[in-house]
Amino acid sequence: MKRLLLVMLVVTMVAAMLVGCAPKTPAPVDPGPGPTDPTPPPPPALKVGMVTDAGTIDDKSFNQGTWEGILKAAADFGLETRYLQPGGETTSFYLTEIGNLVDAGFNMIICPGFKFEEAIFEAQTLYPNTKFVILDGYPHSGDWAPAVGDNTVSIFFTEHEAGFLGGAAAAMHLKTGDVGFIGGMEIPAVQLFNWGFQQGVAYANANLGTSVTIKPENVIYQGTFYDVAAGQQLAATMYDRGVKAIFAAAGGVGVGVINEAKARASAGQEVWVVGVDVDQYSEGEYATGKSIILTSAMKGIGVAAYDMIADALADTFPGGEILTFSAENFGVGIPAENPNLDAAISAKVNELFEMMRDGTLVVSNEQGSLIK
Amino acid sequence: MWQLIVQIFPYAIAYTVPLLITALGGLYSERSGVVNIGLEGLMVIGMFSGAYTISRGGLPPGSAVWVGLLAAAVAGAAFSVLHAFACVTLNANQVISGIAINMVAGAMTRFLARNLTGSGNIQIMRGIQRTNIPLLSDIPILGPLLFRQTYATTWLALGILFLSAFVLFKTRYGLRLRACGEHPHAADAAGVNIYRMRYSAVLISGALAGLGGGIFLTTVSGEFSGTAGGLGFLALAALIFGQWRPFGILGATFFFGFASTIANVSQAIPELARIPGIVLKTFPFVVTLIALVAFSRSSQAPKAAGEPYDKGKR
Repeated sequence: MKRLLLVMLVVTMVAAMLVGCAPKTPAPVDPGPGPTDPTPPPPPALKVGMVTDAGTIDDKSFNQGTWEGILKAAADFGLETRYLQPGGETTSFYLTEIGNLVDAGFNMIICPGFKFEEAIFEAQTLYPNTKFVILDGYPHSGDWAPAVGDNTVSIFFTEHEAGFLGGAAAAMHLKTGDVGFIGGMEIPAVQLFNWGFQQGVAYANANLGTSVTIKPENVIYQGTFYDVAAGQQLAATMYDRGVKAIFAAAGGVGVGVINEAKARASAGQEVWVVGVDVDQYSEGEYATGKSIILTSAMKGIGVAAYDMIADALADTFPGGEILTFSAENFGVGIPAENPNLDAAISAKVNELFEMMRDGTLVVSNEQGSLIK
Repeated sequence: MWQLIVQIFPYAIAYTVPLLITALGGLYSERSGVVNIGLEGLMVIGMFSGAYTISRGGLPPGSAVWVGLLAAAVAGAAFSVLHAFACVTLNANQVISGIAINMVAGAMTRFLARNLTGSGNIQIMRGIQRTNIPLLSDIPILGPLLFRQTYATTWLALGILFLSAFVLFKTRYGLRLRACGEHPHAADAAGVNIYRMRYSAVLISGALAGLGGGIFLTTVSGEFSGTAGGLGFLALAALIFGQWRPFGILGATFFFGFASTIANVSQAIPELARIPGIVLKTFPFVVTLIALVAFSRSSQAPKAAGEPYDKGKR
C-alpha cells in the first residue's frame, strides 16, 4: 500500500514537473484593435521555424527532408532557423510548440505532416502575422472542410506518381516474382504511395514485358511509424514467403525493413527495398558500395520548404492556396543516381517520368480495384 | 501450421533474447533488494554505445559487432553506478532514481549522438548474421525450431541464463545476494557487506541491460534512435511474471516474444490475418494482467526489494 502511494506520488510529481516545464501557453491574440501605430515599422527579418512530426529530426525521412530544405534556404539567404520537437503527437502539443516559436519571434513556421491540420487551423487565426506552411495536409477544424487562411499555404505531393516510378523500376529490375508494400499508418500520403506502386507494377507488366505479382497479403499498413521490430519481422516474413522487393513507406517501421534486407543481403540472398521520401541509398548500405535500396520514391519536401521561404522573401508567398508538387514541377520522382538499376531501366523510368510530365501517362490517385 | 511455426520461431527467439537478458539484469538487482526501473534507460545507453562503437570504431565488420556488444555492456554497467550510488549509498528512493535514469538516458544519448556524429540516429552497417548450426539443425522437430536461422547472441544469452541460475542459487555469492534482498539485517549480522553486494548486483544489472540494448541493436533495429521502444519495461513485467526466477523469466520472456511476433507478422500471413490484429496485439498484456492478479497472493518478490538499507532500523 505504501509502495502504491509512493508510485502514485512519483507519477504525480513527474507529471507536475512536465507541466511545469511546459512553456506558458500563448495568450490568444486580442482580435480587437491592437496598438495602432500610424507608421508601421519595416517588417522584421524572416525567421523560419519548424515543428517536427512523429519521430526525430534525424529520421532520414520527412522531418529531416523538410529541415534540410530550411537549412539550405538559411544558408542561401542568411536566415535564423530553429526546430522544436513536440512532446506528443496531438493538436495541443503542436500548438504549444507553434506558440513557442511565435513567442521567440519566428514569423514563418513550417509543419511537415498531415497531423498538423487542426493545429494549423487554429494557429493561422491565432497568429495572423505569422506565415504557415503545412506539408501533406490542409487546415480544417476537424470537419475536413478546407479552410486555408491568407497566411497559410498547404502543400500536397503526388505520392502516387513517385510510387508508380518506384513500382515500375522494381518490376523492370526483377522481371518476375513477388513484390510487397509495407506502409506506416493508413493515411492519405501512404495510401497514395501504395496505389501508385501497384499501378507502376501493373503498367510494367502490361507494357514492358515483366510479370511481377503483388499478393493481397503482401500489402500491409503496419499501423505505426515507429515499431522497428514489427517492420523487421514483417519484412522477414515477406521475404521468407518469396517476396523479392518491398516498398517501405513507413518511417521507423521502414528502418526495420531495411535492417532485415541488409542482414539477408549480407548472407547472400537477393532482396531489395524501395525507399521513400528521400534518397535512402546510403541507409541500405551493408558493405562498402553495396546497398539494398533499389531506388527511392522521393517527395520534394525540402524543395517545397525552400521554395516557400524564397517566395516569402520575395513577397510572393502564395497565402491561402493549396499547392500540389507533382512530376510536372519536379516535386516528386526518383533519385538522379540509382547505382542498383541498369542504365536501360533508369532511362525507361526517366521516359515514364517525362510521360507523366506531359500528361500522356496519368497515374490515378484513387484506390479503385487496387489492394488496400 | 507446422510450416508456419517453423517459419516464425526463429524470429520469436530473436525478439525474446534482448528481453531475456534485460530481465535477467533486473533479476540480479531486485534479488539484492534494489528495484531497477531504469532498465529501459540502460538499454538505450547500451544501444548508443554499441552503435557508436560499431559505426565509428573503425574495426572490421566481423569483430566490430562483438566489440560493440562489449562496449554496450560496459557502458550499461558504468551508467548504473548512478543508480547504485543514489539507491545504496544515499538511500534514495529506488523508483525515483530509476525514473531519472530513464529520462536522462534518452536525452543524454541523443545529445551525445548529435554532437559526436551530427545526427541523433546512428546506423550500423552490419549486425549479427543469422546462421544454421551444422548437424544440430538436421535433428527432426527440434532442429528447425531451435537451430536454424539463429544468432550467436541467442546462445550467449542462454549461456548467461544458465550461468545466472547457477550463480544465484548454487554459489555463496548468490546466497548472500539473495539474503540482501530478503532480509538485509540478518545478512548484515552474518557478516555480509550489504552495500558491496548491492553495488555489485546493480552493476551486473546495468551490464546485462546494456547488453540487452546492444543485442536489440545488432539483431532487430540496426539503428540507434534514442529509444528502446519500451522493451525495458516489458522486461520488468517479464521479471514479475516470471516470479523472480531465472527459468520463470525465460518462460515469461519467450511468451512475450512469441505472442508479439505472432501479432507482428499476422498481417502478412493470410492464415493468421483472420484473427483481428487488436486481439493478437493485446493478448500478451491481457494474459500478464490475469497472471499478476492470479499470482498476487503467492508472489515471490524479494521481501526487501525497494527498501533502502538502514543499519539502525529494526
